[in-house]
Amino acid sequence: MSSDVKRAFGPGSVELATSVHDSEPPARPWHQSVRLALSFRNISAIYIFLVLFVLFSLWVPETFLQWDTWHSLLATQALVALVAIGLVPALAAGVFNLAIGAQVGFGSILVAWFLAKQGLGVAPAIALTVVAGTVIGVGSGLVITRFRIDSFIATLGISSVLLAMIQWIANSQQIVDLGESFQRIATNEVLGLTLPVWFMLAVGLLLWYVLERTPLGRRLYATGGNPEAARLAGVPVPAMVVLSLAICGAIATAAGILQSAQVGTGDPTVGPGFLLPAFAAAFLGSTQFRGGRYNIWGTVVAVYVLATGVKGLQLAGAPVWIPDLFNGIALLIAVGMSRIEATSIRSRAISRMIRRPGSGATTRAEENTSN
Amino acid sequence: MREPSVPELASSIRSPLLQVEALSKSFPGVRALDEVSLEVFSGEVVAVVGHNGSGKSTLVKVLAGLYEPDPGGQVFARTAEGAIVQGSEARDALHIIHQDLGLIGNLSTIENLDLGRRHGLRSLLPAPSRDERRRASELVAQFGASFDVRAPIASLPPAARTVVAIARALDGWTRPDNMLILDEPTATLRGEEVALLFGAVRRTAKGGAGVIFISHRLDEVVNLADRVLVLRDGRLVAALEAGEYDHETLVNLITGGAAGSAAAVEHKILDDPVLRVRGLSGETVVRADLDIRPGEIVGVSGVVGSGREAIGGLIFGALRRTSGEVELGDRSLPPGRLRAAIAAGVGYVPADRHSAGAVMSFSVRENVTLPQLRPLRRRLGRLDLRQERREAISWLGRVGLRPLVPERALSLFSGGNQQKAVLAKWLRNEPRLLLLDEPTQGVDVGAKASIYELVVGAAGRGAAVLISSSDTEELLSICNRVLVFREGEVVATLEGEDLTDHRLVMESLGLGRAGAEIVFGDTEDC
Repeated sequence: MSSDVKRAFGPGSVELATSVHDSEPPARPWHQSVRLALSFRNISAIYIFLVLFVLFSLWVPETFLQWDTWHSLLATQALVALVAIGLVPALAAGVFNLAIGAQVGFGSILVAWFLAKQGLGVAPAIALTVVAGTVIGVGSGLVITRFRIDSFIATLGISSVLLAMIQWIANSQQIVDLGESFQRIATNEVLGLTLPVWFMLAVGLLLWYVLERTPLGRRLYATGGNPEAARLAGVPVPAMVVLSLAICGAIATAAGILQSAQVGTGDPTVGPGFLLPAFAAAFLGSTQFRGGRYNIWGTVVAVYVLATGVKGLQLAGAPVWIPDLFNGIALLIAVGMSRIEATSIRSRAISRMIRRPGSGATTRAEENTSN
Repeated sequence: MREPSVPELASSIRSPLLQVEALSKSFPGVRALDEVSLEVFSGEVVAVVGHNGSGKSTLVKVLAGLYEPDPGGQVFARTAEGAIVQGSEARDALHIIHQDLGLIGNLSTIENLDLGRRHGLRSLLPAPSRDERRRASELVAQFGASFDVRAPIASLPPAARTVVAIARALDGWTRPDNMLILDEPTATLRGEEVALLFGAVRRTAKGGAGVIFISHRLDEVVNLADRVLVLRDGRLVAALEAGEYDHETLVNLITGGAAGSAAAVEHKILDDPVLRVRGLSGETVVRADLDIRPGEIVGVSGVVGSGREAIGGLIFGALRRTSGEVELGDRSLPPGRLRAAIAAGVGYVPADRHSAGAVMSFSVRENVTLPQLRPLRRRLGRLDLRQERREAISWLGRVGLRPLVPERALSLFSGGNQQKAVLAKWLRNEPRLLLLDEPTQGVDVGAKASIYELVVGAAGRGAAVLISSSDTEELLSICNRVLVFREGEVVATLEGEDLTDHRLVMESLGLGRAGAEIVFGDTEDC
C-alpha cells in the first residue's frame, strides 16, 4: 500500500509536470504487472480452458486424454482458426466481412476447378486462387469506400454473389480427383502437427506483428476506433479498409484451398459453415489479452477453447446440436461480461474523480487498471 | 376535481412551485454551481442569464437529475396534487425542455405528442387518427400556432418544433400550476419565431405555470421575464424584479464589470505571413481571404452558420473546397491531402472531440503519436514502443495531463484532460499552423487556462494560430486579432482598441454600432 501512496504524489502534479520530461514515471511494480496479466478479466479463456480440461479429464478420461483426440482437434480447428485470424484485421479496421464464409467456399471450389478441370499444376492453381481471393477482397473494399455502402450490407451482397459463382463453377456438384500431391499440403506432418496448423500459426505471427508492432497496425486500429478522427490525423482511411479486406480475402481463400486439400474434393457447400464460428472466435478473442481490442492470439485461443468444450461434450455422448448451443452461449456470456466490466471501470473512474474534487486529478491511476 | 381559476391560485397558494436551497455542484477542479438558492411562484417567468460557463447549464442538469448535486443542497417542488416533495420526486414534478427539445425528427407532431402518454394494452389498437389529429391541432393552437400536425417534426420550422416540445411537456397536466423549465429555447430561432415562442411561454405562465427561462440573449430577457437571476462563476450574483434592470446593468452583472480586452501575447510576431488564404470557398464560407503571421493568434467569430465553424476544416483540407488557394510558407495545401498538410506542419483540433478529435478507445499514448508515426519506425516497419512511450510521456507532461497515465484509455479522462491530450498530439508535430475549433468546449475553468497557456506557448515558438470560437471572452483574452464572419464572408477585422465584446457581437449580427441586441455566445457548454 505504501507504494500506492508514493505514486499518488508521483508524476501527476503540475509542479512536477515540467520535470518529468526526460524521465519516465516509475514503471508498474512487477508483482502488479503479473497480477494484471493473470487476472480473470485478461485471460478468462485460459481459466475456462483449464476448467474444461479438468472436467472432461474426470468425466471421459479414456477418450479425452488421448493424444489422437488432441491431434485431430488441432488439425481440424486450424482452418477455423485461420479464417478467424483473417477476420481480425478487418474487424480492427471497423469492417464486418460477412462474405468471409463464401470466400472460403470460393477458394475451395476455385482451386479444385483449376486442378481437376483446367489441369493446372498445384503451385499455379494455389497462386491463382489466392490472387482471386485478394482481388475479391479489394473489390469489396472499393464497394464500401467508393459507394459508401455500409460494410455489413456490401459484404452480404458480395457473399450472395460469390455463393452463386461457386455453384456456377462447380455446376452444383463436387469436384473430385484433385491429385495426391495437392492433398499432401494438408496431410503432411512436421513435428507431429499437420501443415495447416503450422501455416495458421505462421499467418497468426505475421498478422500479430503487423497489427501490434507496426505503424500500419496502429492505423488499422485507429480506423476502426474512430474513422473521422483517424482521417483528421492523416490516416488514409479508405486505403485501410481496402487493405484489411484484401488480407481477409487472401486468408479466406487460403483456408478454402486447405479445406479442399484436407478432404480431397472441392465441395460447393463448405464455405458458409465457417462464418459463425470465425466471428464467434474473433468476438470472444477480443475480450482476451488486449482489453476489448480484436487481436490474433485471443482469437486463436478462443477457437481452441470453444473446440475443446465441444469435443469434450461430444465424447461424453452429447447430442449433435450441442456444439451450436455451446458456441452461442459461450459467446454471449463472454462478450456480455466484458461489456459489464467496461462500464464498471468507467463508472469507477468517474466516481473516483467526483469523490475528490480539486485534488481529484492526481489519482492512484494504477488502482483501476489492476482490480 | 374542480379546476381552480388563475387569480384564485395566485392568491390562495403562495407557496412556491419550485424552491431551491443552497444547491452546489462540483467537478474536479471547479465549482460549477455554488450555493444557488431560488424560488419560482405560480404565474411568473423567471429568466436565468450568464456567460458561457457561468453555471446555467449545470443548474438545469442538476434540476433534471442528470447530475447529482453536492450534499447539502435541497430542491423542493409542489406536485400536481399540491404536495411538497423533494429529491428525485421533485425532479419528476418539473417539466424540462432541453436545448435539443428531445423530439423525434421523422415522426409527426401527433406521434411525438403521443410518445409521452401511457396506453397500456390499448397501444396495440389502431390509433383513432381523426381524434388524435384534432386534439394535436387544438393543443398547438393554444400556443397561437397552426401547422400540419401530420408532417414530420424535422420538416417544421424551429419555432414550431419548440411549440410541440412545450405542448408535450404541458399535455396531461391535471392542474395548470406546474413548473416548466426551458433551456436555451431560442438558440436556433429567428426574429418572428422568437415572438411565437414568447407568446406560448406567456400563455403558459398566465395559465398558472411557473417558468424558468434560461437564455444568453439579453433582449429576450428584458422583454419576457418578470424576474431575472444572474449567474456568474456558479454563484447567484443578482436577482432583479422587472423594471429594476436594463441592458447596461445586466451586462455589468454578467461580466462582473470587467472590460475584458487584454491580449496575453507578448512575444514577437514576425512580419511576413506564413499562412495565405485567397478566395477560399466551401461549406458555409464564401471567398474568404486571410493572412496569419508566425506567432500571431487570430480569432474567428460569428454566429452559427456564418462560416466560423467551417474555416478551420477548409484550410486544413478536411472539408470540401469549391475554390480558393491555401499556402503555408512556400507550400500550397491542396484539399483532401491531409497527410501532406500534417507533414507541412498543420495541426487541426475539431470542435467535436468525441466524434472527430480523438480515438476515445485508444490509450492517450496511441492518440498522441497517431499523426506522426514515421519517426518511430525502425527496421522491418517495427514501431519503437519504448521510444513512443517516452515521447508520449514527455509531451503529456508538458501539457500537464492529470493523471499522467499514458496507457489509460482516453475516454476515461475528464474533458479538459482529453483536450490537453489532443493538443499534445499536435504540439508534438511542431506545428507551423494550429487550427483550433472551439478549443475549450466542455472543458473546466482550470483546464481552460492551461489550454490557453499551451496555445500562447505554441505561438511563442513561431506557430500561426487560428481559433474559431463561440466564446467571445475566449477570443478577447488570447487573440491579437479577431475576424468576424457573417454569411460566409469576413465582414470585419477587429484589433487593438476595437476588439471589444460589444463590437464583436454587433459585427457578427450585422447591427453596426446602433443595434440594441446583445448576445452572449451562441452555444452553451458546461
